[in-house]
Amino acid sequence: MAEIRCPMCSAANDETAEVCRECGARLTPLVMDPSGQGMGDEETNEALPGESSAGDDWLERIRSGIGGGEPQGAPEDAPGPPEPDASDAPDWLDELPEASSDDDSGPPSGEIPGWMDEFIAAGEEEAGEGEEVPEWLARIRARQASGETPQEAPTDEGWLDRLREEEGVAEEAEEGPVSEGLEGLAPSPEYEEEPKTDPFSTPVDLGPLSDLPGVPGSPDRALRRSEVLRAQAEVEATDEDLPGDAPQTEGEMPHIPALMERGQQERPVVEIDDVSLDSIELPDWLSELKPEMPPPTPEEAEVQDKGPDLAPATLPSWLEAMRPVDSLRPEIEIEPEEVQAVESAGPLAGLRGVLMAEPVVAMPRTSSVISSQLEITERQYAQAELLHRLVEEEEKDVALPASTGRRLPILRWGISVILLLALFLPGSFERLGFPGFSIPDVVPRETAPLIALIEDIPGDKPSLVVFDFAPGYSGELDTVASPLLKHILDRSVPIVTISTHPSGPPLAERLLREVRPDATLINGAQYLHLGYLSGGPTAVQLFAISPRDAILTGFKLPEGLDRASVWQSPLVKDVEWLSDFGAVIVITAGTETARNWAEQTHPWIGETPLIMVLSAGAEPLVRPYFEAANQQVQGILTGLPSALAYQQLSGQDLTVEARWNGFGSMKFAVESILLAGGIYGAATWFLNRRQQGRGDANG
Amino acid sequence: MSGDNLIGLGVLLAFLGLLIFFLILENRRPAVFRPIRGYEALKSAIERAVEAGERVHLSLGTGSVIGTDSAPAYAGLVLLKSIASTTTLSDKPVVATTGDGAMAILAQDTLRSAYAEAGGEERYQASSGRMIGPTPWSYVANLPILIPSEDISVHVLAGSFGAEGALAADFGERFGCFTLGGTDDAQTQALLYATAEHPLIGEELFAAGAYLDVGPVHKASLRVQDAVRMIVVAGILLGALLRIFGVSL
Amino acid sequence: MRIGGHLLWAATAVATGIIVLLGYFVRLDQIPPGSLFASFFTLRLLLMRYAVLLAAIALFLGLINLVSVHWNKVSDQQAGWPYSAILIVAFFLTLVLGLVFGPDSPVVLLLFNYVQLPVEASLSALLVVSLTLAGFRLISQRRDLISGIFIVTALLVLIGSGPGLIASSGPLYSLFGGLRNWLAQVAAAGGARGVLLGVALGAIVTGMRILMAVDRPYGDR
Repeated sequence: MAEIRCPMCSAANDETAEVCRECGARLTPLVMDPSGQGMGDEETNEALPGESSAGDDWLERIRSGIGGGEPQGAPEDAPGPPEPDASDAPDWLDELPEASSDDDSGPPSGEIPGWMDEFIAAGEEEAGEGEEVPEWLARIRARQASGETPQEAPTDEGWLDRLREEEGVAEEAEEGPVSEGLEGLAPSPEYEEEPKTDPFSTPVDLGPLSDLPGVPGSPDRALRRSEVLRAQAEVEATDEDLPGDAPQTEGEMPHIPALMERGQQERPVVEIDDVSLDSIELPDWLSELKPEMPPPTPEEAEVQDKGPDLAPATLPSWLEAMRPVDSLRPEIEIEPEEVQAVESAGPLAGLRGVLMAEPVVAMPRTSSVISSQLEITERQYAQAELLHRLVEEEEKDVALPASTGRRLPILRWGISVILLLALFLPGSFERLGFPGFSIPDVVPRETAPLIALIEDIPGDKPSLVVFDFAPGYSGELDTVASPLLKHILDRSVPIVTISTHPSGPPLAERLLREVRPDATLINGAQYLHLGYLSGGPTAVQLFAISPRDAILTGFKLPEGLDRASVWQSPLVKDVEWLSDFGAVIVITAGTETARNWAEQTHPWIGETPLIMVLSAGAEPLVRPYFEAANQQVQGILTGLPSALAYQQLSGQDLTVEARWNGFGSMKFAVESILLAGGIYGAATWFLNRRQQGRGDANG
Repeated sequence: MSGDNLIGLGVLLAFLGLLIFFLILENRRPAVFRPIRGYEALKSAIERAVEAGERVHLSLGTGSVIGTDSAPAYAGLVLLKSIASTTTLSDKPVVATTGDGAMAILAQDTLRSAYAEAGGEERYQASSGRMIGPTPWSYVANLPILIPSEDISVHVLAGSFGAEGALAADFGERFGCFTLGGTDDAQTQALLYATAEHPLIGEELFAAGAYLDVGPVHKASLRVQDAVRMIVVAGILLGALLRIFGVSL
Repeated sequence: MRIGGHLLWAATAVATGIIVLLGYFVRLDQIPPGSLFASFFTLRLLLMRYAVLLAAIALFLGLINLVSVHWNKVSDQQAGWPYSAILIVAFFLTLVLGLVFGPDSPVVLLLFNYVQLPVEASLSALLVVSLTLAGFRLISQRRDLISGIFIVTALLVLIGSGPGLIASSGPLYSLFGGLRNWLAQVAAAGGARGVLLGVALGAIVTGMRILMAVDRPYGDR
């Protein structure tokens, strides 16, 4: 069963079908154009109903030929014209075979000449092999062909044969004078000065070519030249491929324009684009064509003024979807020739106004929608976002923390003023009528045992007093230690001092002189400074192991003694070991120092009591040595209240009481400030919570 | 050798065995430690100081090399080496101060080693490790001069301190520095809790090497600490229970 | 050779540390004279004496370092150079007076009693201001549970330690005094003991790392 291929979608249809079952395109024309014009209108049938031609058998054969069907009775490779159906063909067409060879008269306007069938057949083969001509060039050719078609062509049907005859001398015409047929054409003034031997000087009306995107306006001389050059190049290439005697045009594909200007719909389509125009000697009638052209009707003039009005091609939807949108630059502004750049490369170097050497596809253009939308997965998007954020983070300036040191320390100043007032206020207690802070009636439980311990120290053995504190702590520790030292001195127990701090010996001298300011305290008889014990805790261990082996500097040694002979002093001449001292009393502010003495001396101290006089802050960590079942510290005295209690219990003058009011007022100030801070913190916390609650309530 | 001494020696050997054990275990099952806010903030603060062209100051305290108060200073030296490696290429390298002459020498040696390992030996300056005061309070008295004059923005206290440590931390806060304070003395730790922005409590100072990725031995030693601590806790609980039930050891 | 020197220093440090450490577990009175243990113990004492001497020398070197740093600051006119100049002048003045008259001379004691002692005592007194300010900030700004416990405990101990917001006599003072003693001697002491146990463990492993030459504070080169 014979099939008809749809020219639109190439779908196979029954030969009786009028419309394609796939795309709905009409397969047979609705109206036969009586003039035979409208060749190529099949593609615009739907757009232009009533204007379609065809319906002739030759056209059906063309259709079948385009669709791949072989013409009946035609050899497979024969380029001869297809056999027309005599029953439906017009009379003049019956004579076509003879005319094709003998008669000069060509086919009527709008009909495809016989040689075109060869092109159709050959075109199929070439299409199967792959068309190398770009699509844009094919469109240019098609439009050029339609534009070149003379409107009055049917008046001389033998023009094509004459054209064929003239092709043999095409090469001669390239260098020869302007062909005869063009003599009558009035060249535009801009060409007048150009040599007539210039093959590119022939003006060619490109017609609808000017409407193509990316093509300079028409008539454009540069475009004409490039097209002519291309045509020449292709003709030359074709000449090489084709048999020598074959006409050059027989190997060419027919170019059916997809788009056609409305005003040119009735023009016959004649394929001449691939023929070297320079080699064509146009007939005489053509030279007279232009002057005889009727002036355009008002309607036509209006259409021309409006610019090209193209009928849309009936592209199938799937092809329409595949067509790249905006892939080409939509518009190219053609500059005046005077400002166009001079070609600098290639055979056209030095010419102005030529097409750019680069092909249209290489011209800068806006990227297509398809290429600008990268298809990525969610994971890739997330990773890209992460990378983007990382880069942004790197670029961000790291905000430095707000410097608080630059602000005025108003709070610090305020607290300092309050504490200073508290310090000096007790001097005005009497004037203010304030009796002062009362002496505590609670006595620490360790005070009485300590007093008893001091009472038990043998008088014939010196007591070792370690001044292991820095001068900064002398304010507290002098006050705390003085009652105990006074007690020892009152009992006439000799005191030997030592220190692991370089500033310890002068502190010892100073405190002893404060405790016993009178002249009865004799250096070398009642006290002796062994001096600075260099080496820290290690030296403590060495001293505990063997006191006489320790490296001592001595301090304010009595006359007759020096560093080397310090152990010859009557106070320490019997001391060989640490246990030979009557008591070891450590005055310190640091828990580390206290623990050092307690732990390093414990193995060597024997029955000698170890007593700690401590800063209030060190007490919690030293007390376990005192309260342990296996005591390493036998007595402890810490803080001002204990010192005051010691003086009370030991019957001494309450010298510590002088500092009691200052101590109390300072504590009052500090406690008040901390309470104020607590209240302020609680208030701000409460206000923040309340404000936050309001914010949440307001949404 | 008495029984107590034998026990002490046995404990030391047990420490050594555990250290080797955890060192081997570290390669197979790396330790995961809880985050310590001070060390995490320290890393950021050092990076910020390096980028801002400011200096990091590390105080090794006022303790001496010989003695029990040297242990926190040795931990501070580990911290110093890590910081020095980080700030080698900084315009203003780390400066280490101490109140002890011998510790100043060790600080210089540590800095020299760190610079050599980082390939910046020529950037080492002997004055980067210095003694600024022979007594605790004289040491602290120099800090208000040192901090602004050296453009210090990160102030790290890692060593043995007495009460003067609180004042040292307060000076850092007063000049707007990032202040991290750690010491071995519990009393001073309490003071640092109030005065330092980032106090290190307990033995957190000794975990510096493990948290700053100094080496696997540091991580192993921290795991030894944790393991022995749990043993001690179990022993204390057991002793308390026995005492409650009238059993005396 | 650098590597050899490096190993030599490490070996010396490790050997010295082990000898001193092991000597700690030996009592002098329990060692028979002339035995190997006695020699070992004698060596340990010798090393400890050297350590003490070196510490004194290190103090001297530290003072040289102190002076050189401040000397450079004055020479380069760095920020705060006037303070450095004062320090250098005071340092050399005290040094000369100490060398000429002796460290226990009245002149040096005068400097001590009327310069060093008041300055250090003032710094110590400054601690009161700093701690009070820190306490105020802690309770007013940090506002977390631990900070609250910290400040409340400090306040209770302060109140129970003497006169202040309440009188230092009477039943209220007895109540707060007892509370203060419990906090200081039970709660604080217990907590401090726990802290010290952890610190001791840390100190032990730190020392062991040095004995194993993992930490080399004496440098690697």
